[in-house]
Amino acid sequence: MATTQAPAVRDRFAALLDPGRVIDHPLERRLYGRDGSIAQGDCGLVVLPETTAEVVACMRLAHDLGIPVVPRGSGTGLCGGAVPLDGALVLSVARMSRILEVDPSVPCARVEPGVLNLDLSTAVRHLGLHYAPDPSSQQACSIGGNVATNAGGPHCLASGVTAQHILGMEIVLADGEVLRLGGTAPDPPGYDLRGFVVGGEGTLGVVTEITVRLSRNPPHVTTMLLDFPTVAAAGAAVGGIIGAGVIPAAMEMMDQKMVVAVEAFVRADLPVEAAALLLVEVDGTAAEVASHTAVVERVGAETGAGRVRVARDEAERALFWKARKSAFGAVARIAPNYYLHDCVVPRTRLVEILARIYEIGAELDLVIMNVFHAGDGNLHPLIAFDRRDPEQVERVHAAGTLIIEACVAVGGVLSGEHGIGLEKRDFMPLTFSATDLEAQACAREAFDPEGRMNPAKVLPIGSRCGEIVLDAGSLPEGTWL
Amino acid sequence: MTTVLAPRTPGEAAQALSEATAARASVTVAGGGTRSRRGRPGPPADRELRTTGMDRVVAHEPADLTLTVEAGVPVTEAVRIAASAGQAWPQAEVREGSTVGGVLAAAASSRQRLRSGAVRDSLLEVVIATGDGRLVTAGGRTVKGVSGYDIPRLAVGSLGTLGVIVQATLKLWPLPPARAWFGAGGPLADRIAAAERALTGGVRPSSVLLGPGRLAVELAGPEDDVRAPEGLAPLTEAPAEPAGEGLVEAGVSPALLGELAVRLEEAGLPYEAWMGVGICRVAVGSAGDVARVRGWALALGGHASVIDGPDHLRADPWGPEPPGVHLMKRLRERFDPAGILNPRMLVWA
Ligand SMILES: Cc1cc2nc3c(=O)[nH]c(=O)nc-3n(C[C@H](O)[C@H](O)[C@H](O)COP(=O)(O)OP(=O)(O)OC[C@H]3O[C@@H](n4cnc5c(N)ncnc54)[C@H](O)[C@@H]3O)c2cc1C
Ligand SMILES: Cc1cc2nc3c(=O)[nH]c(=O)nc-3n(C[C@H](O)[C@H](O)[C@H](O)COP(=O)(O)OP(=O)(O)OC[C@H]3O[C@@H](n4cnc5c(N)ncnc54)[C@H](O)[C@@H]3O)c2cc1C
Repeated sequence: MATTQAPAVRDRFAALLDPGRVIDHPLERRLYGRDGSIAQGDCGLVVLPETTAEVVACMRLAHDLGIPVVPRGSGTGLCGGAVPLDGALVLSVARMSRILEVDPSVPCARVEPGVLNLDLSTAVRHLGLHYAPDPSSQQACSIGGNVATNAGGPHCLASGVTAQHILGMEIVLADGEVLRLGGTAPDPPGYDLRGFVVGGEGTLGVVTEITVRLSRNPPHVTTMLLDFPTVAAAGAAVGGIIGAGVIPAAMEMMDQKMVVAVEAFVRADLPVEAAALLLVEVDGTAAEVASHTAVVERVGAETGAGRVRVARDEAERALFWKARKSAFGAVARIAPNYYLHDCVVPRTRLVEILARIYEIGAELDLVIMNVFHAGDGNLHPLIAFDRRDPEQVERVHAAGTLIIEACVAVGGVLSGEHGIGLEKRDFMPLTFSATDLEAQACAREAFDPEGRMNPAKVLPIGSRCGEIVLDAGSLPEGTWL
Repeated sequence: MTTVLAPRTPGEAAQALSEATAARASVTVAGGGTRSRRGRPGPPADRELRTTGMDRVVAHEPADLTLTVEAGVPVTEAVRIAASAGQAWPQAEVREGSTVGGVLAAAASSRQRLRSGAVRDSLLEVVIATGDGRLVTAGGRTVKGVSGYDIPRLAVGSLGTLGVIVQATLKLWPLPPARAWFGAGGPLADRIAAAERALTGGVRPSSVLLGPGRLAVELAGPEDDVRAPEGLAPLTEAPAEPAGEGLVEAGVSPALLGELAVRLEEAGLPYEAWMGVGICRVAVGSAGDVARVRGWALALGGHASVIDGPDHLRADPWGPEPPGVHLMKRLRERFDPAGILNPRMLVWA
């Protein structure tokens, strides 16, 4: 349990902000010791700056005091990225939540990092624009957090993940230096530092302002639900659609257990008897939508889809998406806890890996459900459990490891969009050699030579760049990763 | 005398670099050599590493939309392989003679960037041989993934200063069923307005190019969408590129590109402005031209680099230092500790 900070340190931060924006109460600090994952960290002070100047002041003081810093957005991250260790300072940008500028002539928007993902799209809707990356958590997660995790979402299949939508940013480095990287003018000379910071998981600096690309709303959209008698048939449909030269705007799969849970929650008249459901959305011109819809219907018929239910209107489309996006809420009603996994396999291995996941569930006597971005092979096995049962928690842990190993064995990667953080950190050697990890450590170290930004995340403890060992930060007793 | 190094495998390339580092010998990296007149002029390096011997196609997985090749594979070959499965690498600038590694190292994006995005977004996994001869793999071969730090993004556009790209996994896309160019002439203001209509109309063009006296729009998609937009007429071929003694590439906000075009037309410089993207390629004939174009780009909040040209045009290929040069230096020191690689490129790094 975290102890109260030395008053002197608290007072020094309070002098920079105001006392109300420096949190020292043990209960509140305990809340900031967590994110959307299951890890419980050990949180020191929490500071809530409202401007870049205040972030700089806090970073300089942390630098002078030699305190590690964990940047935090909305705390919805699922890999423990925002979880502080060893009493690190948590710097929350949640109060930096203004949309500074919308420029429809680019089109782009300049925002503070605490702006919530969905709030941005809502704010530009009247211009016929939207911000394309749409994580399922978009009502709650921040754009800054999205940048730090290179977040994805259902519509990233065709339009690309966060990295492709970030034009520029302002970042405060570990020593308080402010840099503006990239911008609306493409391809500035030199290394693409802007692109490198995306996905940096808070270990490279604090992102304090972001210029995002906005996208024009497609003139036509068609959303379809296809049900299948087997998971293999659904997998064949995914391959068939892409094989026919169609990359849908989104292509999501849900298996039966998930469909049953969601139907009980949202009542969307989903076919609960189907082994798997595909949600496919195509968009573009009338001609594109017509030809892509025809492909989806044809492939559906060829691969044994029971019925292709086409959303008749915007309300039904919204209902389909509500079903997809409330999957996690639905599970929360039936299991006290769940562990949401994230890994990627080559799309052609989807069916085989799902079979293996069901086997793992059976072997370890666990309920595993699946709802995921099928179009790009990005799995999200969800393991329901009760954390009060330590023996069950052990099995959940074991299942997580087996799933990762199975994905890597068929040519997959550790994470599709949630990041490495603490959760996957110790699995990095499964996909990277010591030399590869050393190069990553070196790149990180170029930004933060003292290793004070979000220490002990992403790279295994002891990763080094030459003589410098990245270390610092241990997990409190009993922490479960 | 420059010694030529011609590795046939990534391992041989790494070995050659490790030896060069030990000998403190400078190394120029050469791909196809279609754009080797880059960087600050200077004496030739001690050694030249040619990547064209590394020309294996490692894996083509059409159903997974990925292609893994060694860096010396000609870009035309990569595109041919993709097309054999009805697929494309639309982000890459395809020129006879260029290599996959050269396109990536130079971040040479295609004219279709408006619709397809930048070439850096198409690189999934990269293997680089660092200056001191380590083989580093980064990224992942799946079409999506976050697996640690994004070294592939650093490699793209690094002009061989962080390491030699020896192998790359590319993300492929389906070829569009139809595509065609359409064009119009007329006064500049009218062409800019027509470009704006093309950018905001229902059909998303793959390219909207403004040039002296002309506008060219490429449409791609189902046949029904590939029809002449109002006021534009079909063209029989892609528009010619601006040609001159040297080539400058400017980048400004897409919202301001029209203003740059106004100045370029007044000055009578051949140019090609990628509307909606913010890139503008300008043919230049003198150091004065370079300075003028750069001055305009800077005044619009952008930048301009000389990407090809004889020595007298390249006294200052990049203009003012970009932000974060000290970070670039540190990165460079960590990937090329002896500073042997392409010493005339990105000199401030
Ligand atoms: C129900 C649910 C569904 C989800 N669905 C998706 C999904 O579909 N796709 C997806 O990608 N993710 C998904 N997530 C995960 C999560 O929402 C994303 O990772 C999101 O990007 C995190 O944003 P956040 O603001 O909550 O960041 P936090 O959790 O606060 O932080 C995440 C990481 O970013 C760093 N960070 C945050 N802000 C900054 C900043 N300003 N500067 C530097 N570093 C910073 C932190 O240090 C940490 O490492 C889901 C989560 C939940 C709970
Ligand atoms: C007429 C014409 C116009 C062009 N216009 C443009 C343009 O506007 N913008 C643009 O970006 N390009 C342009 N190009 C250039 C060309 O498409 C790219 O530069 C491409 O990178 C050249 O590939 P290459 O194999 O010939 O590379 P090279 O010309 O051999 O090398 C290009 C650069 O990349 C480095 N390099 C090459 N291979 C590697 C490797 N494997 N690893 C690390 N570094 C490497 C070289 O050291 C050099 O700095 C043009 C080319 C031509 C012929």
